[in-house]
Amino acid sequence: MSVAWQFYISTVLIYLGVDVMACWGLNLQFGVAGLVNFAFIIFQAAGAYTAAVLTLGPAKPASQGGFQQYLGGAHWPFPLPILAAGLVGGLLAALVSGVTVRRLRSDYEAMVMLVVSLIATSVATNQIGLVNGPNGLALVPKPLATLVGLSPIGYQWLFVGITAAIAVCVYWLVHIVTSSPLGRTLRAVRDNEQAAAALGKNVTGLRMLAFILGGVIAGISGAVLVEFISAWSPGSWLYPETFVYFTAVIVGGAGNNLGVTVGALLVPVAFLEATRFLPQFGPAGLIDALQWIVVGVLALVFLWFWPRGVIPERRRRFPMAAKDEVPVRTGG
Amino acid sequence: MSGLSAPVLAVQDLHREFGGVHAVNGASFTVPPGRITGLIGPNGAGKSTALNIIAGALKPSAGTVSYQGKDVTALPSYRMARRGIIRTFQLSSEFAALTVLENLLVAAPAQRGETLWQAALGKWYWRPQERALVERARQLMARFDMSAKEDEYAGNLSGGQKRLLELMRGLMANPTLLLLDEPMAGVNPSLARRIEQHLADLVGEGLTMLMIEHELAVVERLCDSIVVMAQGRVISEGTMADIRSDQEVLDAYLIG
Repeated sequence: MSVAWQFYISTVLIYLGVDVMACWGLNLQFGVAGLVNFAFIIFQAAGAYTAAVLTLGPAKPASQGGFQQYLGGAHWPFPLPILAAGLVGGLLAALVSGVTVRRLRSDYEAMVMLVVSLIATSVATNQIGLVNGPNGLALVPKPLATLVGLSPIGYQWLFVGITAAIAVCVYWLVHIVTSSPLGRTLRAVRDNEQAAAALGKNVTGLRMLAFILGGVIAGISGAVLVEFISAWSPGSWLYPETFVYFTAVIVGGAGNNLGVTVGALLVPVAFLEATRFLPQFGPAGLIDALQWIVVGVLALVFLWFWPRGVIPERRRRFPMAAKDEVPVRTGG
Repeated sequence: MSGLSAPVLAVQDLHREFGGVHAVNGASFTVPPGRITGLIGPNGAGKSTALNIIAGALKPSAGTVSYQGKDVTALPSYRMARRGIIRTFQLSSEFAALTVLENLLVAAPAQRGETLWQAALGKWYWRPQERALVERARQLMARFDMSAKEDEYAGNLSGGQKRLLELMRGLMANPTLLLLDEPMAGVNPSLARRIEQHLADLVGEGLTMLMIEHELAVVERLCDSIVVMAQGRVISEGTMADIRSDQEVLDAYLIG
């Protein structure tokens, strides 16, 4: 395989890893717990900024050749910036859900989340000292790049490995939630909040838990992405990006981890990332604009014709007592 | 149940307003153990509001609810439920995208693996208990003649089957007081008779229930004690015979 192809494939794999993690996180919130988090992308952004700032080191004033301003820089060794990103994503989610999930019903919650997303972009853009305003952060050192004497393509594959390892950890977290009684209770809360409360379930606590876990995962996905692309600016996390992930979850099958993995492969990767490598045609910006249209149409078509997605949520069956392995799952 | 029938539930001077309308306006009554107490009254009498307050779904404007001798006024629903006060809904409230069996499993109290930390301990920690719960749920389904629907999505059940699921799910939650909001509303007569028989069996097993019901013949057959509400107040309490002779009740029903 030529080096160019290897770059292409490894890059797509890393983007896939990031998007799959993000989709798992959103699925936990939206597919499993029924939380319509239209601000999902800001939790990814919070993680990305956190990891960037904790990798870049302290900001230098312009007089010493510093070209970007931000708060709280540090030189933390890999993988601490990624863990911190998960923590910050979770804390931000705790803060936001403490106000919204606690007080609002789902349709109002969705509206508020959209507004939160817009406010966050506006603050990050205009508060230059926070994360360098509209220009964003750049030249974020790549993790382990100085430690190992790898060729650029060797490093690409190392990063694929790092991404895969992190994705495995994230999957474990998602899996223990969705496969356990906790996941069943979250799905019950999604289907009927009042009835779940009437059966002794702390609905607010459960919804906040799902929201925070989604925030942690979003933060981690953002951290992996920024460590790979070395830059992050408000343009990377405008509110429409959230809808790409929503489309992926809806197309793949909300409530099914495998389904949303397929959704992440089909929507963000196939439509958005992979097409960046295709030749441009038509006037400048046409392909970008068409991508948004395709994503929007895709979401509408699926909600209309296949609302349960390509791989719908599984029907959990339980074998009779004599047999041992419980629960057997079949497609439903 | 003890021979002394101290009330399980005591509601004292309960008030609830909705924008100036007094839905419940000073209601007081008690629920004795081991029986079905019927809560009857004309439309708009405040029965459902009272039941919602007892279940924790609504907060009272004034008044107290005490349960097993403890003040539980205005606790949120999930905490009422954890004390054993389980309610069913007048409109079916199934978890539509869960199977019938899963609907029942969700209801079980104090489940292992229902917190993040316990879930992280893995299957070996929660699966033995889950197996036992599956068996219990199957016994309930067999009792209510719903075994064939075990793997059906609850959202696909008929209206009558949803009523049965509502009742089974309530029982799965180990209630010490079951609040029933018109458990036979909208079901065909033969299923209504079956539900009535199930309720009679449950009271025979010692379960305490408070039931809102419009069909007075059913109330007469099932309920040893009856509370009559009208215009937010309790206008009479006693057996069906007591109530029949109460002029205020007759007036309320005629006017109401």
